[in-house]
Amino acid sequence: MRGLSFRSFLTSGLIIIIGASLALTGCSQPNNREEVSAEPKAPAVQLNYWTPFSGGDNLFMTEMVDQFNQEHEDIQVVQMNSRLDDYYSRLRTAILSGNAPDVAVIHASSLPQFVQNGYIEDLSGPAKDAGLDWNVYNKAGMKAVSFQGKPYAVPMDTHMLVMYYNKTFLEQAGVLNAQGKPVLQGGEAGFTHFLQQIKQAVPGDVAPLAQPSTRIDAVWLWWSLYNQIQGGGKFYNADGTQTALNNPAALKALNYVEGLYKARLIPPNIPDAFKLFNEGKAAVLITGVWATGALEKNDALSFGVVPLPTIYDKPAAWADSHTLAIPSQHDMPKEKRDAAMIFMKWLGEHGAKWAEAGHIPSVSAVMDTEAFKSLDYRSDYAAAANSVAFWPKHTKQHSFVEDIIRQFERMIYGQQTPEQALQATEKQINLDLSK
Amino acid sequence: MTRQRSVKQWFKNLALARKLILVNVLLIVVPLGVIGAWSFSIFASKMEEQVGKYQLQMLKQVTLNIDTYMNELNRLSLMPYQYQEILDFLATSRKPGEALSLQEIDDLNNFVSKVFLNGRVDIMGISLFGEHGASYVVLPESQYMTTYQLGGNTEWLEKAKGRFGQPTFITTHEVKSTSGTVYQVFSIARELRSFDSGETLGYIVIDIDPAAVRKLLSQVSLGSKESLYMTDSAGDLVLRKEKTAIYPVIEGLSEEGVSHHKVDGKSLLVAHVGSEVTGWTTVGVVPVSELMKDSLVVRNSIILIGGICIGLAVLLSVFIAFRITSPLRMLRSLMRKVERGDLKVSFPVQQWDEVGQLGNAFNMMVSHLSELGYRLYETEIREKDAEIAALQSKINPHFLYNTLGSISMYAEVEGNREVVTMTNNLSRLLRYSLSGRKEIVTLRDELDHVQGYMTIQKMRYDDRIDFRLEVDESLYSCPVIPLMIQPIVENAINHGLDKGIGEGRIQLSCYQEQGMLMVVIEDDGIGMTSEQLGHMRERLDKIHDLGGTSGNGLMNVHRRIRLHYGEQYGLQLESMPFQGLKVILVMPIAYSMTA
Repeated sequence: MRGLSFRSFLTSGLIIIIGASLALTGCSQPNNREEVSAEPKAPAVQLNYWTPFSGGDNLFMTEMVDQFNQEHEDIQVVQMNSRLDDYYSRLRTAILSGNAPDVAVIHASSLPQFVQNGYIEDLSGPAKDAGLDWNVYNKAGMKAVSFQGKPYAVPMDTHMLVMYYNKTFLEQAGVLNAQGKPVLQGGEAGFTHFLQQIKQAVPGDVAPLAQPSTRIDAVWLWWSLYNQIQGGGKFYNADGTQTALNNPAALKALNYVEGLYKARLIPPNIPDAFKLFNEGKAAVLITGVWATGALEKNDALSFGVVPLPTIYDKPAAWADSHTLAIPSQHDMPKEKRDAAMIFMKWLGEHGAKWAEAGHIPSVSAVMDTEAFKSLDYRSDYAAAANSVAFWPKHTKQHSFVEDIIRQFERMIYGQQTPEQALQATEKQINLDLSK
Repeated sequence: MTRQRSVKQWFKNLALARKLILVNVLLIVVPLGVIGAWSFSIFASKMEEQVGKYQLQMLKQVTLNIDTYMNELNRLSLMPYQYQEILDFLATSRKPGEALSLQEIDDLNNFVSKVFLNGRVDIMGISLFGEHGASYVVLPESQYMTTYQLGGNTEWLEKAKGRFGQPTFITTHEVKSTSGTVYQVFSIARELRSFDSGETLGYIVIDIDPAAVRKLLSQVSLGSKESLYMTDSAGDLVLRKEKTAIYPVIEGLSEEGVSHHKVDGKSLLVAHVGSEVTGWTTVGVVPVSELMKDSLVVRNSIILIGGICIGLAVLLSVFIAFRITSPLRMLRSLMRKVERGDLKVSFPVQQWDEVGQLGNAFNMMVSHLSELGYRLYETEIREKDAEIAALQSKINPHFLYNTLGSISMYAEVEGNREVVTMTNNLSRLLRYSLSGRKEIVTLRDELDHVQGYMTIQKMRYDDRIDFRLEVDESLYSCPVIPLMIQPIVENAINHGLDKGIGEGRIQLSCYQEQGMLMVVIEDDGIGMTSEQLGHMRERLDKIHDLGGTSGNGLMNVHRRIRLHYGEQYGLQLESMPFQGLKVILVMPIAYSMTA
């Protein structure tokens, strides 16, 4: 009896200890689990990605970057968007100060200035490593990014000048056919007549054609028309030492553009033509395809889009291309360059998403995908990609265009005639070329 | 009172081992528990204090970072003072919708680009407003606009006015770009004044991506379930660190400090730091329970280790208590044995402490007791011997034998054969009974004695007795105890024949069965009723008493057999009413003793 109670004491003591230790390990278990879940992951490669989107297309790029980041755990793309006005100034400074981003969007027209002095990397090697096949991109795009036969950037899209029109206003003016397309005669007179018909029909505060009175838009329109003229579109003389801008064809086109402003078919003092059209205060808008995505979002607007009308001999429209380049850095780790190539390749493959912004995808195969075909409007102007007028490849092209903008602005504000504007431009460019 | 007394009594009555265990456990658990609880509570309060200080430090750092950032913006908003053309533009008087000249657009573009380029990358928009209708507004993803009018109802304007040119920070609000995208921004606004006239010229507003400041906030982590946000002086939210918990806004925070708040039953540790630059308050909120997670680990380890220690100590104390009291318990059980009369016990003394001494005393006591008992027994035996000797000396057997011999001779002379036989037999009986005093005799001796006795009895009863003897001859030399069969036979005559009429038969047979000697005495007298028989058998079974006395011959013989040979031997009875009694003596065969 006594001995038994001694044993029962022992067993109960053991049970208490075991029970206590079990309970305590039970308590500490959640902590353990937390530690396990906080297992260190290999840090993702971070890519700084600079973009100059300011026309409503940035929204789509942000979505694509987010999607890419979700699909790639090991790569983290950090996008930084600047206004186009400051973008190249910022990018140049960054490259010169050694703070270049890992991936930058560069317009095809600006590529030459970055290809010079090796500011961006020759991508033929990295592309081979990353398994990027250049043949998937369309010919125009590849031509724009190739220098001495080597690709320096990955083309992302082609964007050109197209004509948007407000169906309501065109219908009021009786210049809209049953298919919802504008009724338009050829030649300068035909287009002017078209706008005049609209002007007579719409309220006084509605612009027949919306074009900003400053900035580059008038230059794009002039360049497109200049290229429509047989024998036009020359920028430089044969050996590239002087500009060939001051010629009758260029003047003809410029005279016509200036005439539109003068006749108030393009009202003066428009800071933001897109905004005007979007708010239903303009009947026609000539701008880049990037406006499509943003305009689509406006339910109150009934609009159509067609390629830029052929006013002269052949269809042509100013075009440019967003390309992806890797700015040269002092010592870029290989994994970063690989990650950059993966990102660039991915953007091309997902061109259908980028096309939602309005752009024409650079990867030809994307044009045949259901995702692209299901988009409205894009097919209306996809054909225009065949008759595009890029700026010539010149390292100083960017600043020459700036020169042209400055002279044209003065012309639009009535401070000089088209002849004077071309002469002043020629003089300035030739001066720069001789430096 | 009574309860206390009953507890006291209960404790007093508790077994010694349990008392020891209880006291030990109390002595171990109470101090350990008190020390553990006390040290943990001190640790926890110190830790909380430290965490509070640390959090305040963190918040100060992040506030400083944000202030630095804001100061940069502050300087940026001073830029218009370096551009006379901008000040001139703001001073111009304009009708709504009046267009800007190309020169003005150029100047403004140039100025805005400078601000964008020289400022941080996170500038999203710049707006210039003149007092008299001039405006130039750059919103994210939009071209500049010149048609904005200063409305009288804008909140920030009220704030910016009359601050002597000091900037005001406007909390996060939304701006809509021309393409329809809505952006979250917060802004710095500054009143621009003319030095010459001292009048207000207009305002500059710089819009910032709140992500930049949020990023500064995100650099700080106060712990899981934290909430980190900034409020303006009115208590409205400026911005909040992403992916943090949201607790109700805590009112009435001023300057800086750490405080405790109870919200929805949760205890929150709130640290806050005010900024002189922005006038905003950075607030960090963390539930105390989250902070104390680490201290829970400490508490658990204290409990675990303490529990194990206490458990081991309790086990040890239990072991020791039983070890100490086990000799006492043994002593008690030995005492119980002695109580029952078993004196052949001894307590093994292994140690010379109190218990050992007690055990030794016990051993001494038991040995004294058994010695006393033996002496008493011896004395009794001697007294009996003396009695018998006295009796014998009184009778003087030789005188009796000689007398009987004389009687026998006279009878022979007279020719009386019966007297001769009787006298001779009587003489032999007396000689066997009185002078033998042998411990062991043979079966033959016993049977001879019975035959002599029966000879006399036959003559007494005029041959009414038919005595038959059947003996396995091999058993004659078997040793038996003396005077064992004769009392049974006498009993058979007394109870079986005396009460009957006519001839009685007595059958005595000795045989061997299963290695035992069986002596059977049968009579054909009146026998016993089943009640009497049961009573007798019961008495036979119950005879254990050594010193008991009984007049009954059967009992006497039974007792002697048992005493001599052991409990398994003795007398067995079989009887039927009026059909006689059968007495069976069962004894072991021991040839060797005479061989």
